Amino acid sequence: MLEYAGGLINLLSSGAVTTIQIFFLTLIFSLPLGMVIAFGRMSKKKWVREIFKLYILIMRGTPLLLQLMFVYFAPYYWIGLNWDRFIAAIVAFSLNYAAYFAEIYRGGIESIPQGQYEAAQVLGFTKTQTFVRIILPQVIKRVLPPISNEVITLVKDTALVQTLGVSELFRVAKNESSRIFSTSPLAVAGIYYLVMNWLVTKALHAMEKRLSYYK
Amino acid sequence: MLKAQNLVKKFNDNEVLSGISFEIIKGQVLAVIGPSGSGKSTMLRCLNLLERLDGGCVEVEGEVMVRTDDNGNVIYAPEADLRRIRLRFGLVFQNFNLFPHLSVMQNITEAPIRVAGLKPEEAKELALGLLEKMGLSDKAEAYPYQLSGGQSQRVAIARALAMKPDILFFDEPTSALDPELTGEVLKVIRMLAQEHMTMVVVTHEMAFAKEVADRVIFMDKGLIVEEGSPEEIFNNPNNERTKAFLNVLKSY
Repeated sequence: MLEYAGGLINLLSSGAVTTIQIFFLTLIFSLPLGMVIAFGRMSKKKWVREIFKLYILIMRGTPLLLQLMFVYFAPYYWIGLNWDRFIAAIVAFSLNYAAYFAEIYRGGIESIPQGQYEAAQVLGFTKTQTFVRIILPQVIKRVLPPISNEVITLVKDTALVQTLGVSELFRVAKNESSRIFSTSPLAVAGIYYLVMNWLVTKALHAMEKRLSYYK
Repeated sequence: MLKAQNLVKKFNDNEVLSGISFEIIKGQVLAVIGPSGSGKSTMLRCLNLLERLDGGCVEVEGEVMVRTDDNGNVIYAPEADLRRIRLRFGLVFQNFNLFPHLSVMQNITEAPIRVAGLKPEEAKELALGLLEKMGLSDKAEAYPYQLSGGQSQRVAIARALAMKPDILFFDEPTSALDPELTGEVLKVIRMLAQEHMTMVVVTHEMAFAKEVADRVIFMDKGLIVEEGSPEEIFNNPNNERTKAFLNVLKSY
């Protein structure tokens, strides 16, 4: 029994590594991409704004599961391109999460009082300096709580990638569960997710605490 | 030092400045008074390029910042020139607009380092000198949320002075302060006046305007109704509207 438990943990850990890779790669791409989309969404040009609005509508208005399958299968049906499942998953997740992050950033940026821009302008800061040194640090503090929500959801959403046949934590647990005719692999996988989110929550709290030096 | 002619500013159909002309003279304090909505703040914001004029001409020591051609087109100097001209102005806001994520020291040194290109040590030294002058030497490492309104405004003044402006503008610098805190800010402005800092002060503090200003402009409904020395405006106003405005204030 104990021997089997060790084997199960080894097996699930290999799946968890894939899950963690999906998690970090998605964040690395979607966090900056969200900023680009937020700027597009706030563009002075109406047609640019409309394009990004439509993008956000599609990304937030359709199931992530559908997007995932679409990104992976569409190139195959269109041009016969058979691309890597893992890469397809990262692309789909990044595009989707970036839309959510964009709206959070936009809310943060728009909540900064006009007086901050004016004070910076009068002191002679360029637009870039104003954004990077005055606005952005304040935005980060304000958006951290809503970003945290999304990041925690992302940990759990990685389970969707199993539909593409990527052997991440959930798929490994599910297969093992059918094989040995027991739900214990699923329960252990649940503990894995819980621990990951516990760590994520701790890290995000630490960041919030670091930014609590001002109001 | 600065010559403004026929300034016009509209917000949609609402004309806020209806053609005002005045001059800012080096080393003098110009007080701008008048009822709410008379265009005082808008005038200041236009001069500081926070709003764009719809007409008029502004010259800063002979350099044209903005002019209006014969067809009524408003032409601003190229962006690079405007940036340079802007650095000759400092503006102190009613609501301070300190940067909340930066310490008092960083609030003051950020622009001298990033914009004026001072070395961090030089900027820090400059800031310490200014803080001492403002009576805030012990607040260098504090953050804006830890300051009272009067302290915040004095930091804002120090921040503006750190860029060594030729003209310092004040947009109702004591209007957001509790009455017991206005004194400490007025004291600082008075001290700057004694050092012959060129200043334009939009204010509701009549006693202060009377005491500190070299010249006073009374504005109403987007026009300069009366201009003169403090004695002329406060003791001997010619215009009926000036008289009415000052009488209302006296009755409080």
